[in-house]
Amino acid sequence: MMQPDTQRPQTVSDDVTLMPPSRSPWAETWRLLRKNRVAFTGFIVFVLFFFIALAGMALTSGAHPVLDPAQVRLQEKLRPPLSAPKLDSLKPEEIPPLGRYVLGTDDLGRDVFARMLQGAWVSLTVGFVAVGISVAIGILLGGIAGYLGRYYIQLGHLIYWTLVVCAIFLALAQSLPAALLCTLGAGAGWLFYYRRRRHPDRPVAKGLRWLIWPAISVDALIVRLVDIMLCFPSFFLILTVVALLKPSLFNIMVVIGLTSWEGTTRFVRAEFLSLREQDFVAAARALGLSDLRIIFRHIMPNALAPVLVSATLGIASAMLTEAGLSFLGFGVPPPHATWGNILSDGKDYIFDAPWLTFAPGITILVVVLAFNLFGEGMRDILNPKLRERN
Amino acid sequence: MLSFLGRSLIQKLVTLFFVSVVSFLVIKLAPGQPSQIDPLNPKFTPEIVERIRKVYHLDQPLHVQYLLYYKDLFTGKVVSWRDERPVLGKIWERFLNSLPLFIVGTLLTWTFSFPVGIRSAIHRDGWYDKSTTLISYFLISIPGFFFAYILIILVVTKLNVPVIDMQTFGVTSASPLVHFMDRLWHLVLPSVLGATGGIAVLSRYVRSQMLEIIGQDYVRTAKAKGLDEDRVYYRHALRNALLPFVTMFGMILPGLIGGSVIIESIFSWPGMGRLAYEAILGRDYPVILTINFISAVLVLAGTLVSDLLYMVVDPRIRLE
Repeated sequence: MMQPDTQRPQTVSDDVTLMPPSRSPWAETWRLLRKNRVAFTGFIVFVLFFFIALAGMALTSGAHPVLDPAQVRLQEKLRPPLSAPKLDSLKPEEIPPLGRYVLGTDDLGRDVFARMLQGAWVSLTVGFVAVGISVAIGILLGGIAGYLGRYYIQLGHLIYWTLVVCAIFLALAQSLPAALLCTLGAGAGWLFYYRRRRHPDRPVAKGLRWLIWPAISVDALIVRLVDIMLCFPSFFLILTVVALLKPSLFNIMVVIGLTSWEGTTRFVRAEFLSLREQDFVAAARALGLSDLRIIFRHIMPNALAPVLVSATLGIASAMLTEAGLSFLGFGVPPPHATWGNILSDGKDYIFDAPWLTFAPGITILVVVLAFNLFGEGMRDILNPKLRERN
Repeated sequence: MLSFLGRSLIQKLVTLFFVSVVSFLVIKLAPGQPSQIDPLNPKFTPEIVERIRKVYHLDQPLHVQYLLYYKDLFTGKVVSWRDERPVLGKIWERFLNSLPLFIVGTLLTWTFSFPVGIRSAIHRDGWYDKSTTLISYFLISIPGFFFAYILIILVVTKLNVPVIDMQTFGVTSASPLVHFMDRLWHLVLPSVLGATGGIAVLSRYVRSQMLEIIGQDYVRTAKAKGLDEDRVYYRHALRNALLPFVTMFGMILPGLIGGSVIIESIFSWPGMGRLAYEAILGRDYPVILTINFISAVLVLAGTLVSDLLYMVVDPRIRLE
């Protein structure tokens, strides 16, 4: 019989000899992360960057920021890094609070260090919001395709929803007769389904039987949707949409998010397909849990690790995309500084003021590299095959 | 086999139809009118704007515009709104410019990534593996145009070679040899830049593929038989590791259009990506739509080719 804990002297060695080391999954992941030096460095930079971005937002926003990224000092333009300001030519409010231009000044005499701090926050927001949108869409579509994929959509449903979408689009495009026609059609469809729901056992009239023909499975529909999205070259698509919508911080985040969910959808679907067949899901279903609860409480936590890894890599690529858009002149517009537009503004002064190119360039490189190394490291760490070996 | 081909062709045609609808809607429903691209120009009187809208069918309802555009596209009559030249001719001209860049870039990518990937897989966790891994991540993470500027500065200041555009201005009057060398020099930087990202990604992929095969039992058996290492790695392992890459041949086709916008902009290279960029700037809808359509066709053709290749190469694959 087991003795109560109070009577047994508990030491560390005792624990180790009695039972295999039991660690929570988080502790185990943390231990493996500590062992993987490259990934751990990436993680440190990741955390540092996060705090720098937070500090940057605190220091550079508000009506009277500590470090003003928008302060123009035309008499002090293109000063090299660490140069001291010429105090006699500056008004008191123009004097940089650090006493030096840590990263120099740009062509308008703005403090590059302050702009970089502001840019850290903006770049972080762009990356996180864009990836947040794409991951949300990916999880939703991938989850539906993987879990509910076997259900068939009836032809009538397809026509009904197409009509609804067409009606909305046509109303937006202000061609009212066509919109009215679509609305009428959709209304008829709604009536049909309303009556079917009211009297589910009544047989469908012979002339309308084609409406309940199972046209396509949910899974096939979503996979086709992904195929359609993959046909667009992604950077070209983002560029087109951003250019047509007029670049703004909001548009760029949303467009990058809305055009990069295919990868997440694909492997969330694959994860769900395999997890759906596992015993714990069958048990949950036997308990009578609702589909939504099974999806979000039981399957999702098991599928989350690879999603987080690809989200980390996605943030890195969103930051690079933002920099590329800035270079082509479609980046976040001027009141906000981002690393991308500091870098692309600096290219005109590359020989006279190389710090305008190298400061943001190297920062982007380091941060994106850290995200990539951390993400790839986590992919190895979360791989169960590797876990057994260590 | 034939039924697979027929079904996937139909599937791809349906996908293509939806792609054409989506791209048309995206462009047409975006705010802003192409007839008002230059509103401050005093020559754009309301009558002229009205005439432009009439000539380009912009006053018609959307679905009529859609049908008219694709009718024009398939009969080859689509014209650019900027200079009234046939779009297909314009794209073909730019395509010929992009082609050398694409070919050299692809060759560089495929010739460099395989040896690098194989070697780092064989010497796993050795110094070679670690350094190439780090370099790969470096190349993946560096913003393309930042890297391009560093290289341009290096080449222009150290080697004194002009690199912008396709050739040095006025070089056509020089001897053929000089002309040829000039073209070659202008090709080097953009294609190397285009290839670096590809090499970094592809060599990582080769490495992981090779690692997986090296861990297989039959490789251990081959080693245990006493075969020399080169024979095991290059005859037994490599052949099987190569399988997935066959499918990637199909996937290079779309690269013709996709990733070249930034590089062609940096080097003022008059290629497809640059054409697309200019069309976006000028709201030249026929050009944007046509390029989009062609690239969708390339993607779909690429997946079809890779499916077929896979079936030919790997007898275990049976696509029903």
